[in-house]
Amino acid sequence: MTSTPTRARPAAPPEPDRPAPALGAWGRRTAAALSFRNIGAVYVWLVIVVLFSVWVPETFPTAITVKQVLNGNAVAGLVALSVVLPLAARVFDLSVAFIMSLTSVLTAYFMVSTGLGPGAAIALAMTAALLIGVVNGIVVVVLRVDSFIATLATGALIQSLITMVTNDSSITGVQLLAKPFASIAQLDAGGITLPVLYLLLAASAIWFLLEHTASGRRLYATGFNADAARLQGVRTDRLRFLTLVASALLSGFAGIVFASSVGSGSPTAGTPYLLSAYAAAFVGATQLRAGRFNAWGTVLAVLLLGTGITGLGLATSAQWAASLFTGSVLIVALVLTGGRIALPTVLRRRKSPPAEPVTTPDKEIS
Amino acid sequence: MTRPLLRVAALSKRFGGTQALKDVDLEVAPGEIHALIGPNGSGKSTLIKILAGYHHADPGAVAELDGEPFDLSQVAASRHDRLRFVHQELGLVGELSATDNLALSRGFARTAFGNIRWPEMERRTTALVERFGLAIDVRRPLALASPVQRAVVAIAAALQGWEGRRGVLVLDEPTAVLPPGEVARLFDIVREIRDTGAGVLYVSHRMDEIFALADRVTVIRGGRRIATLPVAGLTPRSLAELMAGEEMETDHRPASAPGPSEAVLEVRDLWAGPLRGIDFDLARGERLGITGLVGSGHEIVPYAVCGAHTGPVRGRLRLPERSERWVDARDADSLGLPLVPADRAGEGVIGDFSVGENLTLPLLDRLRARVGRLHRGREGALAEEWIERVGVRTAGRGARITTLSGGNQQKVVMARCLAQRPPVLMLCEPTAGVDIGTRLQLYDLIERQADEGMGVIVSSSDTQDLLALCNRVLVVRDGRVVREIGGRDITEPALVHAMEGT
Repeated sequence: MTSTPTRARPAAPPEPDRPAPALGAWGRRTAAALSFRNIGAVYVWLVIVVLFSVWVPETFPTAITVKQVLNGNAVAGLVALSVVLPLAARVFDLSVAFIMSLTSVLTAYFMVSTGLGPGAAIALAMTAALLIGVVNGIVVVVLRVDSFIATLATGALIQSLITMVTNDSSITGVQLLAKPFASIAQLDAGGITLPVLYLLLAASAIWFLLEHTASGRRLYATGFNADAARLQGVRTDRLRFLTLVASALLSGFAGIVFASSVGSGSPTAGTPYLLSAYAAAFVGATQLRAGRFNAWGTVLAVLLLGTGITGLGLATSAQWAASLFTGSVLIVALVLTGGRIALPTVLRRRKSPPAEPVTTPDKEIS
Repeated sequence: MTRPLLRVAALSKRFGGTQALKDVDLEVAPGEIHALIGPNGSGKSTLIKILAGYHHADPGAVAELDGEPFDLSQVAASRHDRLRFVHQELGLVGELSATDNLALSRGFARTAFGNIRWPEMERRTTALVERFGLAIDVRRPLALASPVQRAVVAIAAALQGWEGRRGVLVLDEPTAVLPPGEVARLFDIVREIRDTGAGVLYVSHRMDEIFALADRVTVIRGGRRIATLPVAGLTPRSLAELMAGEEMETDHRPASAPGPSEAVLEVRDLWAGPLRGIDFDLARGERLGITGLVGSGHEIVPYAVCGAHTGPVRGRLRLPERSERWVDARDADSLGLPLVPADRAGEGVIGDFSVGENLTLPLLDRLRARVGRLHRGREGALAEEWIERVGVRTAGRGARITTLSGGNQQKVVMARCLAQRPPVLMLCEPTAGVDIGTRLQLYDLIERQADEGMGVIVSSSDTQDLLALCNRVLVVRDGRVVREIGGRDITEPALVHAMEGT
């Protein structure tokens, strides 16, 4: 809970003309950083951990579970991160799941059927992902088709491409299980596999871009109010185009990691990740930078969802529990962001501001 | 006088700390066109919204229609069956026909099976609109009808089912969407309604309309009723003084036009939207107004000059201080002139951004540190500096911009334009939705910039802005500059006459 007694605005830095004691300011900032409003998912996650530790004490609170949650959710995390950049610019890329399937299938196809080495196969698969990103960009930005429908349509096209390559059956081969390729996803240090590192690197890169560069600020501006951003010289079309290319590349990479981890190219590799990616991105947008799609919030959400699903898997054998959990968390998070309000404000029941911004009084803020 | 048809007394309304209306009284007599006039932000739209049931009044207000009291203290779908409204945007659905639109407010005639009796509906609609001497195809989508036809359909929709009874029709700036030639027809219709013994409350901020149409006028300013007077005893000058108040007249009047001086912006043969070839020069330190009726094209000039007009543009412009080369208007954005847009919420501020983020958005390139990182310290300092300089009242640069009043948001938008140190500043409707106090501060700010040598273009349909700010005003009609008014000759009547072409 925020400790500021007057106004619910923990994001506001202390006023310069009213210097608070250094410790007070530091304390307030720490309190804001640790507030439920800012990192509610961490507290929910702790509750889940405690809950399952009590429910299934033999299997849940173990090192194996930790590894399983981390290793098992790294690919999901990569896919979730891939939609963060487009979403920040208010672009939906629903083709990420299909791009993921495509690169997994293409890599396997080139290695098994045409005998290329892993490097060449990966390069070709990533080129395909890049091309699809460009096609998405052309359809959405140049031809001005709504991104939600446009990427659903390009997704269907990609799926047909996949069927052409695979006849809808997985591509397997010893090459995929052998050392150099298998290492991409399976090399580990102390039981933590490489994809966890990829996830951290990708999250760091996206975090830096969104939080610490001009381009990141402009991406958010594009997402929040493209007209206003354009008038301020932000090249909104170019940014939206580039986010689609970025999401294609990152989800394409996730497909390759997936192929390496399971040792085959599956025509439906990506589809199960679509919902969870958007769930994580939207839950993530309620965390850390409330109202903004952001990298670490998304990673946090992936871990929260992953922990819950793993725990449910250990505690019950109910197949339906995982989707039930994902769906419930998503709805709760969206209800909280839908009104752009975090929990404490709701509980405080502040009166909503007058409907007319025109008459919003000056005095209210002084 | 006979008993008033509509009587409102002691009407007050507070929004948070702002007193939008204070003890306003208003009476509309039967057979009277009563004008309600006041500058933008004076509270007249709040008054109408309270009457319409969109806002509730503060306790203590009294309201009667034909002697019957009704309640203003609740938000309600409708206040009184005989109090009818035509809002500025007319409230019609363009995709639907006149028949459908009329039925939306009063329902459809149905058979016993529940299906709509179209022939009867169409007969009814035709009869209603024919009363106003209008022949339209009642089956065609209204989007295909002319503006005056749509206005008449809106009035017909509002008047449905009050035939033969005395009520009050409230018209909220109905001419805003009409071309000048059709205003006279609308006025005839309004007079006809009055002559049936109904009362008409006619809201406007245009003085010429008051003199052409109204019997009495109530002037409100700053949320208070200033006066209620018969129009016959007024002159444009005395009404302008009532509307503007003395302080505006004296404090904010440019002393004189700057002497001949080098141009900072030259625009030649500019075509965009309704604009059909506009030429002008803007001198250093000059405050040039561009005005006209809605749709005349004046509002497009700043957008076209800064390259933000969506649609074909033609013409050339140059900044002589910067380069002798003429720039094609299609590449106008390469000049990088900043714009304070008309629609603050839609095009001006980014509502989800903080004050600081809004301020620095166009300046981010200046704040680069190594590896493309944004220098947070410099960004904060820049934001603080400009918040201080233009006097934004905010809890801090981290506060969300939408927590600020309209006027303070406008200051932020202006500050970020000024921070780019442009040779020319362009403003569209700079004081729309800004309260009187902040408005004066904005005038001061603009004046100071001009005194330092910046050229300022103010595109506004609010004559108050032009009177208070400009050394010279270009009046645009039908896409061309029809009048140029300078210095002391800039008066309300002169502007209105030039805008209307009378």
